[in-house]
Amino acid sequence: MAIRELKVCLLGDTGVGKSSIVCRFVQDHFDHNISPTIGASFLTKTVPCGNELHKFLIWDTAGQERFHSLAPMYYRGSAAAVIVYDITKLDSFQTLKKWVKELKEHGPEDIVVAIAGNKNDLGDIREVPMKEAKEFAESIAAIFIETSARNAVNVEELFQKISKQIPPLENPEVDSNESFKLTRQPPPSTRRCC
Amino acid sequence: MASEDLPSEFDVVILGTGLAESVVAAACARVGQRVLHLDRKSYYAGSWASFTFNGLLSWIQEHTAGSQPETEELHDWSNLLEDGEEMICLSNTNSAPFSNVQVYCYTSEKDEEEEDEARSPEALNTTEEEGGRGGGDEDGVTEPAESHTAELKEEEEEEGGERRQEGAADAQEEEREEEQEEEQVEAFPSRPQVSWGDRGPHQLQKTCGLNILHCPITQAIQTEGEGPEPESGQPRPSAAPSQSEPVKKKISYAQLLKEGRRFNIDLVSKLMYSRGSLVDLLIKSNVSRYAEFKNVTRILTYRHGNVEQVPCSRADVFASRQLSVVEKRKLMRFLTSCLEETQEEQAFAGRPYLEFLRDQQLGDNLQHFLLHSIAMATEDTPTEEGLASTRHFLRCLGRYGNTPFLFPLYGLGEIPQCFCRMCAVFGGIYCLRHSVHSLLVHKDTNRCKAVIDSRGQRISCSHVVVEDGYVEAARKPTATPTRFLSRAVLITDGSVLSSESDQQVSLVTVPPSEAGGPSVRLVELCPSTMTCMPGTYLVHLTCQSVSSAYQDLSPVVTRMFRTPESHDQEGRPSVLWCLYFNMADGSAVEVEGHDLPSNVYVCSGPDGGLGHQHAIGQAEAIFHKILPEDEFCPPAPNPEDIIYDGETCTSPLGEEGEERGEEEGEGEGEGAGEEEGEGEGGEKEEKEQEEEEEEEEERDGEVQEKQSLKSEE
Repeated sequence: MAIRELKVCLLGDTGVGKSSIVCRFVQDHFDHNISPTIGASFLTKTVPCGNELHKFLIWDTAGQERFHSLAPMYYRGSAAAVIVYDITKLDSFQTLKKWVKELKEHGPEDIVVAIAGNKNDLGDIREVPMKEAKEFAESIAAIFIETSARNAVNVEELFQKISKQIPPLENPEVDSNESFKLTRQPPPSTRRCC
Repeated sequence: MASEDLPSEFDVVILGTGLAESVVAAACARVGQRVLHLDRKSYYAGSWASFTFNGLLSWIQEHTAGSQPETEELHDWSNLLEDGEEMICLSNTNSAPFSNVQVYCYTSEKDEEEEDEARSPEALNTTEEEGGRGGGDEDGVTEPAESHTAELKEEEEEEGGERRQEGAADAQEEEREEEQEEEQVEAFPSRPQVSWGDRGPHQLQKTCGLNILHCPITQAIQTEGEGPEPESGQPRPSAAPSQSEPVKKKISYAQLLKEGRRFNIDLVSKLMYSRGSLVDLLIKSNVSRYAEFKNVTRILTYRHGNVEQVPCSRADVFASRQLSVVEKRKLMRFLTSCLEETQEEQAFAGRPYLEFLRDQQLGDNLQHFLLHSIAMATEDTPTEEGLASTRHFLRCLGRYGNTPFLFPLYGLGEIPQCFCRMCAVFGGIYCLRHSVHSLLVHKDTNRCKAVIDSRGQRISCSHVVVEDGYVEAARKPTATPTRFLSRAVLITDGSVLSSESDQQVSLVTVPPSEAGGPSVRLVELCPSTMTCMPGTYLVHLTCQSVSSAYQDLSPVVTRMFRTPESHDQEGRPSVLWCLYFNMADGSAVEVEGHDLPSNVYVCSGPDGGLGHQHAIGQAEAIFHKILPEDEFCPPAPNPEDIIYDGETCTSPLGEEGEERGEEEGEGEGEGAGEEEGEGEGGEKEEKEQEEEEEEEEERDGEVQEKQSLKSEE
């Protein structure tokens, strides 16, 4: 099965649970006091999708969003973006629009956008109605889902939905203009067989 | 913007996000230093930045004579001083190292359909209009990115939504888009006036030539009304859509604006030597995984009024039609022999390389190629220097492709951002639009103990790294740099040398037109480098300044391209838009000898060299001054190797890839002339090189080109 690497970038205000979602998805693990992602450039997880394997390279903001200083390179080449808000914090929902705008400005044009309302285990102190969020997501043609990284609710589903929306590769043959990464590993074809 | 306060204690505070500063930031954070990295601009990379077309227009506005320099309000924060401290204020003006900014637009303002109206004499006269500072709304000056892309974004949002729902563009949308285009041009006078009406004291000249001659090189230009081509930012050929009939139409200024975000226009023009210090550092540190690269595909030179390809790899040499069989043999012999030092060479020590080449009886052709394109030397360059650069060139051949050079997708401005990300990943804190007002220095020790940021917060630190532009002129050893660079940026409609593929990345060396003049380096980027829109090429010209950028470079532009000033340029690509400016040459900026505390280190800004040795060397030197005991940029762990053990995430410091199969990795491009030339000189060199590498850095198993996702599938 062909492995296809897909870069996914996470967006959203500090403290909404971006890292927790990745951590849940990749490690199936939740940490109450997760420290800002030290030393992880991105995390990877491979999931099957049709006759392809999707290897998600999930990029965290590395805290650069905290003082509104995300670099444009963060968005480059992303197949999908997950914008996370905290259902118990209205503010974090209101800034969604700002993140969508950022994405339109710096992100690739055909990027798949998903909106994740995290901390849905804290329904009793909810500030953001699900309906409102869902309508907003529909208005920008984004995937919508409420998640709980803590209770492992809908995290897998979030990425499955993204997988399904990734358009199949057109023109796999055309590759006269290849670009490449610089790496000390030999190319995958000779490294191991899948 | 940021309401949150910064932490008040760091180990290293770094001002400026240029390449050298960003490398220092990444290196320090990597070994556990707490780094605060600030930039007073709203964008990353300072003088190394790259801009969208619209972003560049804002930059131009900001740097055009007559514009108000951005100044911060004056504050008195002396109450934050502690006993025994004194305050050193940093420069609060934008003493940017740029001057003589001039813009010319040689394409029509609007699309041809609209031109009928626009072609009225009145419209043509926009050239002569004294627009003054016209629509230079203040937002445009201070927050360029936002105000200038605002309505583009909106439009895209709308379009994006519609596309998703309705799929392909239909006639209605076509109409709507046209309307919007018109709106863009008319409803926002500030933008066009940046380049059309602006005539500051420096005479920001412009010519609006409605050049409607036939385009000799027919480009399939994106036709009107077609939805923007799906483009993902992932590497993929983004040439003009082939299904549409090629339309002989020049891209209008309105289209450049509309497709503005497809441009990534670098202020600095450099290439990466495939075995140069930057590539080595990117690989060593694993920062390379944040970016993708393309090979420079051709080395060209300008001779006798023509652009010619320089045969530099073995395959090129044999395929070359310009060279006779005798020349081919001579060239191969020379390239092979020059890898080893000979007595012959020593005899020429101190004498010009040109004399050495003449002595080799190579003939004019080869001499030209070797001197100007391979050694990139001048007629006065000493032999040992010329040979050293020839060898470097040859060593870099074949590692990734048929030329020694690489170029990062989306432009060079990505590279500092990649190092910044590495710093952030290791806990560095980033804040744009934020600066340092002053340094607080302990009088007895002459060491900087803390800084006061532009919001009046006292932040203690052990070391400070500043970009030269943040230092007040009075504290510099020399008030102004002694050398400048002349730069031009062109958007053209065709390649300087058309070939089967329209996706070439070319380095063109243009020897001085008269003795003593500057030789000009020209880099032509195609759309698949993600630096320009389909149907265009982005051309960067660079030389050492003799005079203003316009005076230095416009003769070359006029000769090699079609502009209203050029004559008989049938077959040359047309210039649609161009920009000239001068910038300080970082290699002429002193980084020592400032009147600053001993734990404050200065970075010089970009130099004029083709490679990145200057900045990387500077960064490494500063790092070792700050942390003499630590390793410079050890590899970051592999994502898969990070162990989550409950409480904390720990990163094994072990090295990646060591155990993986090491492969003989010279790729396909091994046709490097010297390697298999005649005898074993080349091979031996190659082996030595590898052994050296292995000893030095055990990890550096073999560096290989890994095809990108796109090309794999």
